[in-house]
Amino acid sequence: MFEKILIANRGEIALRVIRACKELGIRTLAIYSEADVDSLHVQLADESICIGAAPSSESYLKIDRIMSAAEIGDVDAIHPGYGFLAENPHFAEVCESCNIKFIGPSSRAMQAMGDKNAARVFARKAGVPVTPGSDGIVETESDAIRIAKKIGYPVMIKASAGGGGRGLRTAHNEPSLKSAFHSARHEAEKAFGNEQVYIEKLIVNPHHIEFQIVADSHGHMVHLGERDCSIQRRNQKVIEECPSPLMTSGLRKKMGNAAVKLAKSVGYENVGTIEFLVDQDRHFYFIEMNTRIQVEHTITEEVYGCDLVKEQIRIAAGEPLSPHIAHATPRLHAIECRINAEDPEKDFQPSPGRIDFYYAPGGRGVRIDSHVYTGYTVPSHYDSLIAKIITVGATRMNAIERMRRALGEYYITGIKTTVPFHAAIMRNGEFRDGNYDTSFIERVMSSGKLDLKSPSIRLRE
Amino acid sequence: MESKEIKEIKAIIELMEKHDLSVFEIEKDGFRLKLQKGPAAAPAPVASPAVIIPSKALTGSSETTSAVPTPIESTPLKEIVSPMVGTFYRAGSPDGDPFVDVGKSVTEDTVVCIIEAMKVMNEIKAETSGVIAEVVAENGKPVQFGQALFRVR
Repeated sequence: MFEKILIANRGEIALRVIRACKELGIRTLAIYSEADVDSLHVQLADESICIGAAPSSESYLKIDRIMSAAEIGDVDAIHPGYGFLAENPHFAEVCESCNIKFIGPSSRAMQAMGDKNAARVFARKAGVPVTPGSDGIVETESDAIRIAKKIGYPVMIKASAGGGGRGLRTAHNEPSLKSAFHSARHEAEKAFGNEQVYIEKLIVNPHHIEFQIVADSHGHMVHLGERDCSIQRRNQKVIEECPSPLMTSGLRKKMGNAAVKLAKSVGYENVGTIEFLVDQDRHFYFIEMNTRIQVEHTITEEVYGCDLVKEQIRIAAGEPLSPHIAHATPRLHAIECRINAEDPEKDFQPSPGRIDFYYAPGGRGVRIDSHVYTGYTVPSHYDSLIAKIITVGATRMNAIERMRRALGEYYITGIKTTVPFHAAIMRNGEFRDGNYDTSFIERVMSSGKLDLKSPSIRLRE
Repeated sequence: MESKEIKEIKAIIELMEKHDLSVFEIEKDGFRLKLQKGPAAAPAPVASPAVIIPSKALTGSSETTSAVPTPIESTPLKEIVSPMVGTFYRAGSPDGDPFVDVGKSVTEDTVVCIIEAMKVMNEIKAETSGVIAEVVAENGKPVQFGQALFRVR
């Protein structure tokens, strides 16, 4: 087992990793930017090293400085969290060559799945259904037109090096295809440094359902069921639940087996997620694989009774899959709401700044994964996620009512947050019926029917 | 002060001028004297260096108080900070002379130290001009981004 781990991340996930390390008796080294000097994870880590100025490009993405800190700190392993360098095969390679264990898959497996277009090829080879689409990268506008015609409109143009819902454009006809093709390439170049795109059939109002994979280094792999992440705003997940209200045990078996087959075909190790789109007729199609721990790993943990981050560390240390994970079965229902520092009444405009007062809900079945506290200043340089609230219940309705209750106690002043937005969704009929798809948020927001007034509690500050 | 001590201080000041020293500090038997040259490079008359003598012997009190509360600094000290994460070394080689010491004049391009990162020795430049007032970082110890290495007047 490792003696010391460097956490190459920040915010709530850095805290999550430090918690797992502490419970395993592993020493922690936090690296941080100048904007994160007061961050909770920095204060809780055994050691910390400042590696750069606030912008991510000057700090959290600086491989050389992170490796230098790892060397000074004499660490055995690095946990990359999610985002930043978590899916950067070059970073994984650098760790490998420095003899520091990268807690995640090999750089080779990461590379195989990181190229979204190449991943589709692997899926086809493994007999896993993929959305009908181009056979590879679409180089020219005329190719795009020809392929789109063949697939049939509407289509989606996707960046091969993309992820996190970025580098995507839709086109419903030929005229809009031309501009979509060029603007997708332009955005891809700017966001990922790679303008290559491929084309897929746009599945109208799909459900986004993903499967959690866990594999050790001894060839043993299992899936831990699905998460329904259809509740998205601008391709960013906002609410996730486990299990999916759409799932049947037959479909779960089919999709789970497909996920394992695909991950095995690239020799995948550690944790990962296979994402599918499911249409109205319950046909499923592979879209991409995330070769890292995900934000919403929490709901799988609650339902399957496990600690995925600890398991990541164990697997990286060479241990076989824990028996409780190898034989895990789902119990209970869990929902996660991502609380962002954004103003839902002003089109979710970012709201960084000082949190004057912070009170988080508690009680049975409520889990809060958050790095913020009273007096903490949310920096403007990074994503706006300030907390994840997860509720667990015996049934789906129990979990929803518990979330509604807990959100009513969540008191954050000084900045705007999406707490009232989530509270409104919990009251929404379609959501409560489990009758939603990826178009849900768009529809409900434009209907103007969401009551976004803040909870009525006032706490003496 | 006695005239003997004033004579000694004058002699020290002249020695400082002769050897182009900016700071002279002496502590002996409860007596402490620090002389600091002002930023001007012009030939300074004897009266110009600021003299502070906080010392038990001179004031005769049991507490150390400043006899003459004269402000030493008219300009705040500038810091040379680390631009990277690594190990700080004052000299180019284990038995070499330090690049700079307290009292040394530096310009923007003066190499002041080495920071070793991942087996690469990086020469760090002052990026400011003035005189080294303090060596803040410890030789052979790790430094992080933004950490103070030297203070410069």
